[in-house]
Amino acid sequence: MQLPIHLSNESREPIYHQIEHQLKALIASGHIQAGTALPSIRGLAKDLEISVITIRRAYQNLEYQGFIETKQGKGTFVCDIEDALKQQVKINSVYETIERSIETAMSYNYTIEQIEEIFHNILMSYKKGE
Amino acid sequence: MKPFVEITQVKKKIDNFHLGPINLTIEPGTITSLVGNNGSGKSTLMKLMMNLANTDSGSINLFNQNVSGDEEQWKSFVSYQSQKMIGWDAFTGENLKCFIAPLYEHWDEQLFQRIVEHFAIPLNQRFSKLSQGSQQKLTLALTIPRNTPLLLLDEPTAYLDIPAKTHLMDILVEWMDQGERSIIIASHQIEDIKKLSDYLFVLRNGEMIGNFEKEALTERYKRYWLRSELTESSIPGEVFRDRVQVVSNHPKETEHYLQEKGLQWTNQSSLDLEEIITLLLSPTR
Repeated sequence: MQLPIHLSNESREPIYHQIEHQLKALIASGHIQAGTALPSIRGLAKDLEISVITIRRAYQNLEYQGFIETKQGKGTFVCDIEDALKQQVKINSVYETIERSIETAMSYNYTIEQIEEIFHNILMSYKKGE
Repeated sequence: MKPFVEITQVKKKIDNFHLGPINLTIEPGTITSLVGNNGSGKSTLMKLMMNLANTDSGSINLFNQNVSGDEEQWKSFVSYQSQKMIGWDAFTGENLKCFIAPLYEHWDEQLFQRIVEHFAIPLNQRFSKLSQGSQQKLTLALTIPRNTPLLLLDEPTAYLDIPAKTHLMDILVEWMDQGERSIIIASHQIEDIKKLSDYLFVLRNGEMIGNFEKEALTERYKRYWLRSELTESSIPGEVFRDRVQVVSNHPKETEHYLQEKGLQWTNQSSLDLEEIITLLLSPTR
């Protein structure tokens, strides 16, 4: 199974984090259903052109957080994560995305007030669009 | 788990060529690419590992046995595909399989048949009569199913067509998934290196440049476009410069220096593995 994971070398976010986050989002959004077999670590390493060391790290974190489980000799499977957890993942990913854009703005030396204004403008344009 | 391979301070001189000192450890479950220019010593290193040539100094242990010692059990744990299979020319694929298969306790006949079928290898023709591509396919079909924990492949894909290369990668991935196994692969094919390897062992004219984890390498290199050309002859981390473009293998140091000097960059990007290898192998670094 090929997973729709897109990695960016330009991002400041480490590769294993990108894999972890994107897999979580795919699971929380229901794109990958509970019980689905994930590619083997070596298989995903080939598809994403990433070492098994990095993939293993992402899989271990996801397993630790209860998103996936490894059955000895059978492979890695997506767990049934509760609705509450799904909600939490969604909220977290929204927070993280917004935080990242604020960090970008700050790296260009914008002040908090200027960033606030940018956000306000964007939100207003969305409101008008409705 | 004990490492499969332990190479310590190995040196070898052949005429004017000096290999080493080489230090390399191969852990179970890993794929290591040997990367280097032509004549950098990749094949020599493999031959030394197989005890087909003697080291001048240092030691090579495979599965905890010194390869030049009296004990030879390690040989049943390794499969080696050299660039040229000596003594195969007069035999057909069928003959060769009958010689080779019984030597390996864990020979996978099904896998052999699958590879032969998928690659459409004619088993009834003499090895010498096959095209270079077919010879390479047959050699792989006679090597991978030996199912030894360690697989040494010297340029396995040089003559393969594109579909065969893709299929071989799938075969090797599946093969790796079946147990505690490791592959060492010498290759000039960037796709092999990108898709298969966890580690890149880089050799330049016999000198060991290093053994790098793939992502550690790609994360280490950054390219900067500066507002104006630098007046300094060299800045911290710099490994390459072309007018306003500077490549660094220590981005933190480089950025720190540029910021301190009040030098701005308009853009930055990471480097492709191909570019990084080229930089590592270029003579003037």
